[in-house]
Amino acid sequence: MQARPAAERKRIGALGLAALLALAGCQSSPTDQGPAPVPSRPFTVLGGGNNVPARYSSDLWVQGGYAYTGTWNWIERTAGVASRAALNVFQLSAGGAPVLVDSLIMPNITTVSDVEVSPDGKWLVFSAEGNTEDGLYVYDLANPAHPVFRARYLVDTGLHTASLATLGGVLYAFAAKNPSAPALMVFDLSQLDSGTILLTTILPVAPNYGLHDTFIRDGIAFLFAWNSGALIYDVGGGSLGGSPASPQLVGSVVTAGGEVHNGWWYHAPDGSKRYLFIGQEGPGSVGSSSSGDIHVVDVSNLSAPIEVASYHQAGAGTHNFWVDESRQILYAAYYNGGVVALDISGTLSGDLASREIARIQPGGPGNTYMWGVHLYSGSLYALDMLSGLWQLGVPK
Amino acid sequence: MRPTGRRYAVAALSVLSALTVLPARLRAQSAPFLHVAALAIPTYTGVDPVPGGATLDELRVTQAMLMLHAGAFTNRLRLLGTFNAEGWTMPAGELGIGVWGEGFYDRRHPHTYVTELMLTGDQPVGGDVRLSLSAGKGFAPYGSDDPMNRPTVIFPVNHHWGQIMERAVLIGGVTWKVLTLEAGIFNGDEPEYPSQWPNMDRFGDSWSARLTVRPMAGLEFQGSRAMVKSPENRAGAGLENDKWSVSGRADRPLWGGQGYLFGEWARNSEASGTFVFRSFLFEGAWSRGRHRPYYRYENTDRPEETRTADPFHAPRPVFENSIVGTTRWSINILGYGYQFGRADRFSVQPMLEVSNAFVETVNGGIFNPQVFYGGQVFWSLTAAVRIGWNMSGHRMGRYGVLADPPATQPAMDHHHMQ
Repeated sequence: MQARPAAERKRIGALGLAALLALAGCQSSPTDQGPAPVPSRPFTVLGGGNNVPARYSSDLWVQGGYAYTGTWNWIERTAGVASRAALNVFQLSAGGAPVLVDSLIMPNITTVSDVEVSPDGKWLVFSAEGNTEDGLYVYDLANPAHPVFRARYLVDTGLHTASLATLGGVLYAFAAKNPSAPALMVFDLSQLDSGTILLTTILPVAPNYGLHDTFIRDGIAFLFAWNSGALIYDVGGGSLGGSPASPQLVGSVVTAGGEVHNGWWYHAPDGSKRYLFIGQEGPGSVGSSSSGDIHVVDVSNLSAPIEVASYHQAGAGTHNFWVDESRQILYAAYYNGGVVALDISGTLSGDLASREIARIQPGGPGNTYMWGVHLYSGSLYALDMLSGLWQLGVPK
Repeated sequence: MRPTGRRYAVAALSVLSALTVLPARLRAQSAPFLHVAALAIPTYTGVDPVPGGATLDELRVTQAMLMLHAGAFTNRLRLLGTFNAEGWTMPAGELGIGVWGEGFYDRRHPHTYVTELMLTGDQPVGGDVRLSLSAGKGFAPYGSDDPMNRPTVIFPVNHHWGQIMERAVLIGGVTWKVLTLEAGIFNGDEPEYPSQWPNMDRFGDSWSARLTVRPMAGLEFQGSRAMVKSPENRAGAGLENDKWSVSGRADRPLWGGQGYLFGEWARNSEASGTFVFRSFLFEGAWSRGRHRPYYRYENTDRPEETRTADPFHAPRPVFENSIVGTTRWSINILGYGYQFGRADRFSVQPMLEVSNAFVETVNGGIFNPQVFYGGQVFWSLTAAVRIGWNMSGHRMGRYGVLADPPATQPAMDHHHMQ
């Protein structure tokens, strides 16, 4: 049906109501986005873009000359594709530009929420949520251009994210189970050759929106659990005797404003492991507005972490990170703010606004809502919910 | 030390008891009473379009309720209960244009089985001043009459902007001549399913206040303010809602019958203004003899959430603070009812409603009604039979000093719920 002309709508709305209509209140007003500084070392667009038109994109992983990206279908972009997520495979050209070579449609998955490839390049692992066959999925990458289903572990409320880590020679997936009983689920992926995923343990977390993401490194698991903050567990690398089957709480921190969503434990070139970067996911309207800052936590003492710095971008909020540790640059997806590069060298304290190196909205204003970034072979691959997968040149 | 919900309850019961003890001379003035009423509305509704672009029609029994109103000690101690069977008669909700809430979209959610269970102590203190204290489960002192008390069968979009209900509440009230002031504290969490009770661990984390002016019989105006913590997340991790409501209501003789006019403005701001939703609503009815035509116009903003595999539902419990857009619904409803029987005994009122609506997006976001519904213009047809027993006299959400004076209890609000 055709939309009614605006004039006719106004006449209907005015039916004997003019005096009371004057009482009608304020409209929603998205916050203004601050002017971007002129970067001395800008991002450049090298390739890609506007290459996933039918769906909203979600997470990405780049490895072995391919980029694997998910889609976010909690609401339809194109009529008829709701409840059917896609796992897109892009082959990278000689220059690194992504070219779509396969698209696996998942009839009973709404959203591919997190994507990762195992360190040996053998398995593609992703988490799924929003429909009747949610959980952890593993695909065989014997042919990296055309993944083949190998195994799945269904979780009725869905998994929001999954992170891979090799501990004691065993590949594990640390997954964030959605409410109503939010939890960390640890899966043993050592028997994927026989098509089996083993559940190692379930660690409940408080229902303060539950667990959103995890970061595992050196046998330490960081759980990003919204208003419960960042929870630090020994899963084999600490001194508390923890293991993937029996995580032991080492410490926790609630950063300013809570809404703790994601993070990255930074190992500096000098070997120091002082900083944990945390992404705050504040309220926003998907596709147009967002909020939430980057918080820097000093984890020199894992049992007593303390926030020491933060970065705020007016009118936009952060999402997933990637850190170029050798160059000491943090890249943050910033939803409608695009991508931001921060200098994280040296000692970090207070407001990090002066540390900003560059920012870019590759899809342009109104067509940028950046989910995640991944540094690969000298390029930064940025997956935008609206404008798809981009290859960006990083600040020199 | 912050009082717990249990401490509040004990304190409230103590004060209620004290209010009924004094003064003894009033106790002999009237006998205890018990008033029981019941309502059910078999309803056919057809909507074009629904999510996905198709047409859908359904037959449901809506607003199936049993009401109890008891008083003692010269009506200074009162118990009001509303027991709602919608969790059984319409567990999947009621089809409607733009209606939403508690995880339902384009369907109105069933209410909890115990919608109201309020105990009130009410004490005149002289000089036209009365005090009251009410405690139990019910409406917070905020906003306007529940849509169940109003002419149309189909709920408005602004139900969650115009009322705060099904909470554990403690309300203090004072009235002086034409002015009534109420203030209350309650739990911010709204129910997630019909059998769920308020989270008493959160009792007292939210508050509201309402000033009502009643310059003459059948005419009243109210202004309300509320701060509601995390209504959408039971654990309390959600956004705070800053709410305002202003409304006026006239229910008076008109042109040889009974006229009813109601206008309402409401505003809901979340996360310190990150999201602002507003609503304007006007409705009127005129009853003469058995005939009752009525009309409602509404212009209300609705937050759009992600949907589950069932497009009529959003994920619950929520685990994000983001929405996917805001829609603005402009809806006209024209209806007519014809009553058999008497409202204060047994009545049967066949009703017919036609709705026409237009939806548009405001303030960005990815939600696209053209994609989601296949269009922006909606029509619906509702045929219903309102079956009531002893329904005259029950106006939900009004406790203590805001309830009509005891002498008028049997006859109050005669045109509603007929």
